[in-house]
Amino acid sequence: MSNTSSDTTEDESLITTEVETGSANWSPALGETAVAARDLNVFYGDEQAIDDVSIEIPEKRVTALIGPSGCGKSTFLRCINRMNDMIDVCRVEGDVEFGGKNVYDADVDPVALRRKIGMVFQKPNPFPKSIRDNVAYGLKIQGYDGDVDARVEESLKGAALWDEVKDQLDSSGLDLSGGQQQRLCIARAIAPDPEVILMDEPTSALDPVAASKIEDLIDDLAEEYTVIIVTHNMQQAARISDRTAVFLTGGQLVEYDDTAKIFEDPEEQRVEDYITGKFG
Amino acid sequence: MATDNANADGFGEVSRVRGILFEYLSLGASVAGLVALGVLLVYVAIDAFDLASASPGWLLTYFLTLVIPFLAFCLYSADDSAVTRRVLVVLAGGLVAVAVIFTAIEAFVVTIPRLSWQLTYLFVVVAPATAYLAYVGSHGRVGAVGFGLLGRLVGGTAIGLAVGTLFLVFDELVWFLAYTLGVLPAAALYAYGRRRDAGRAVTAAIPVGLVGLVAAVFLRGVVRTYPSDLIIYLWTLAVPIAAVGALVVDARGSRTAAVAAGGVPLALAIAGGFLAGNVGLPGPTTLIVIALTGVPTAIYVHRVVDVGDGTVGLGLPLLLAAGVIVGALVVEAWGVPAPDPWLDVSYVTEAPSRNATEAGLYPAIVGSVIIIALVAVLSFVLGVGTSVFLEEYMPETGVLGSLTRLLQINIANLAAIPSVVYGLLGLGLFANLLGFGYGTAVTASLTLSLLILPITIISAQEAIRSVPDDLRRGSDAMGATRWQTTKNVVLPEALPGILTGTILALGRAIGETAPLIMIGAATTVFSAPSSLFSRFSAMPMQIYAWAGFPQAEFRYGVVAAGVITLLIILIGMNGTAILLRNRAERGS
Repeated sequence: MSNTSSDTTEDESLITTEVETGSANWSPALGETAVAARDLNVFYGDEQAIDDVSIEIPEKRVTALIGPSGCGKSTFLRCINRMNDMIDVCRVEGDVEFGGKNVYDADVDPVALRRKIGMVFQKPNPFPKSIRDNVAYGLKIQGYDGDVDARVEESLKGAALWDEVKDQLDSSGLDLSGGQQQRLCIARAIAPDPEVILMDEPTSALDPVAASKIEDLIDDLAEEYTVIIVTHNMQQAARISDRTAVFLTGGQLVEYDDTAKIFEDPEEQRVEDYITGKFG
Repeated sequence: MATDNANADGFGEVSRVRGILFEYLSLGASVAGLVALGVLLVYVAIDAFDLASASPGWLLTYFLTLVIPFLAFCLYSADDSAVTRRVLVVLAGGLVAVAVIFTAIEAFVVTIPRLSWQLTYLFVVVAPATAYLAYVGSHGRVGAVGFGLLGRLVGGTAIGLAVGTLFLVFDELVWFLAYTLGVLPAAALYAYGRRRDAGRAVTAAIPVGLVGLVAAVFLRGVVRTYPSDLIIYLWTLAVPIAAVGALVVDARGSRTAAVAAGGVPLALAIAGGFLAGNVGLPGPTTLIVIALTGVPTAIYVHRVVDVGDGTVGLGLPLLLAAGVIVGALVVEAWGVPAPDPWLDVSYVTEAPSRNATEAGLYPAIVGSVIIIALVAVLSFVLGVGTSVFLEEYMPETGVLGSLTRLLQINIANLAAIPSVVYGLLGLGLFANLLGFGYGTAVTASLTLSLLILPITIISAQEAIRSVPDDLRRGSDAMGATRWQTTKNVVLPEALPGILTGTILALGRAIGETAPLIMIGAATTVFSAPSSLFSRFSAMPMQIYAWAGFPQAEFRYGVVAAGVITLLIILIGMNGTAILLRNRAERGS
């Protein structure tokens, strides 16, 4: 660990080139950029959580953010929908572009922004309300005046939960199992039809069977949504993502490329060490 | 070698003396406190109901007609032979034990004042056994149905009486206009919007209601002729309650049942309201009580019959009523000498008097109920508002964070300030400066609200803080504003805790005397307050005044009856709040 941290300053130039190589290698099939960060720096008080990160995340793909604990990947995720605003000591420098607009511009309303970006958390956190009310929550707060029940059904189908709960829509969301609760949270996130879904270690609190269901679901979601997922599980990243970004200690983005490339032939020795389990 | 063999004799011992000592000391302290309070309440009850002069025959009669059938009902519901055996052993063994021990103490140690061994048996053995059996019985389906029905009858009556009392002070004509112009159209719009999925009708409901309320206040000064009180209560309370009842039954069962569930109580209420005057009861209050009791009862009976399980339990109120009637007949027929309780109907419906047998608590009861209702509303709204602001809106860091902490410390300190000081504040601020008058109901309510506000705020803050942050973040990430998160996620989840704190605080407010004395409340008034600005007395004030009377009848009988009334109202109030809280807990 101490070796890597002493290396960081020398590697800084490499990181940026790495990203640029990555983006230069994009095949047209990757499509438009959904979310992009430019020279992003995030501080918690005096501590730097993200160190000069630039990245372009393609739309309708699954992009995995991996790296050891405390490397800033969750912080990066929360920059995209400005959930970091809730933390008083958090300070953000640089740009995060979503839909061609810097979300940190003064005229951006973070609440309006979050209505376009769904988020799923590490621990399933359904509201202590009925399953129906959980899924309809986003519609309710946005004053949706269409057919709410149809959207609830559609979202639950989208989250592969409909068949299991269609007869108990009025029972509490807390009565479901952990894996079902997490899929309920996914249904809740997709109900208002966001453009991007952020997932912060969505399977780390679940058993392997429930986790694999969520993984299958993420695959399907990428047909319609841009999915950005933080995970500690390297196999998971390899299985489900199209692109992988590796963050290492100090909040640096060390390598960002197609998932196959990262896992088979990474440019960086440190990335290879991390992926093969030599540290982290 | 020695260490190798050490374990052969076991692992040694660790001393637990201090832990065990602590355990028994704590147990002893709490038991001593409960026993002392229990003995006091027993004596108060004996005085209030004049049980000391109850003959053994009278006690035996009601024991046989009322207590035994009730116990049998509970045992039937529990349907557990082990419990039945245990209870029979306790009742029989307790009878012998209490008789022997009581006689022995009387003979050899000291005479016990105003208690006979029969009374001691009732309080020490029968009362706990009944409570235990009621608890066990309520877990059976039959018992649950019986207590459910009984609860609706008692609760409906209590709420009906409370509403009737509030209308002594509040202007029913304004309510009539407000209901007709504001509440009814708003409710109709809302229901229409919900049914037809017309979002605009739902959104329009609140503005329409507000306009109606404003118009009502304005028209009150203009309109001269009004329907009679009875018609107003019928139109604004009985009919909507019956309609809601019919809708609830309709959603679950047949149209006919719905019409019956709404119509029968409504017809009874109308009949009761118009006939009440003939037997000297106030018509409007009778109407409200019958409507508020009848409709929930009808809904409940319909549901129980619909489910078809434990319908026998519906007989419990009849069983108890029959017990009372048979007991009264036996007492009458055989000329069993009956006690003359201080706490009777005239005590709670008459004004105070210099003559102990004619003394009543009615004006003080009305005063207390009105004050408590206002305090409940004021402290709940202000307390929840302040705690939401402090917990959800004020930042935790920076200059404002320091300010929050300062406020926090001060609120905690305010909770510790003696109530006399609040009385002084009320006197200076509400009575003098704002001119609400000395000893008026509104001054008292505002003062008591201030007094319990810190307790309400602190407990509401605790409840809000205990809502997991995960839920807030989840709502925020959906793009909810802070207000939407607070309203939809935080408050529903915190409501049970908030209500618990408010219940405790209200319990304190209802018993306060010192601040009422400071703001110049009368110890005795002879008519119930007729407006918020009329002079009033509260139950603790009146009880305190009576306790200073020279006649022994006041100091024992009348005061005891007052204490029991105060406790019953307190328990009724808390019971309602606890039911609400449990419902909120189940709802979430």
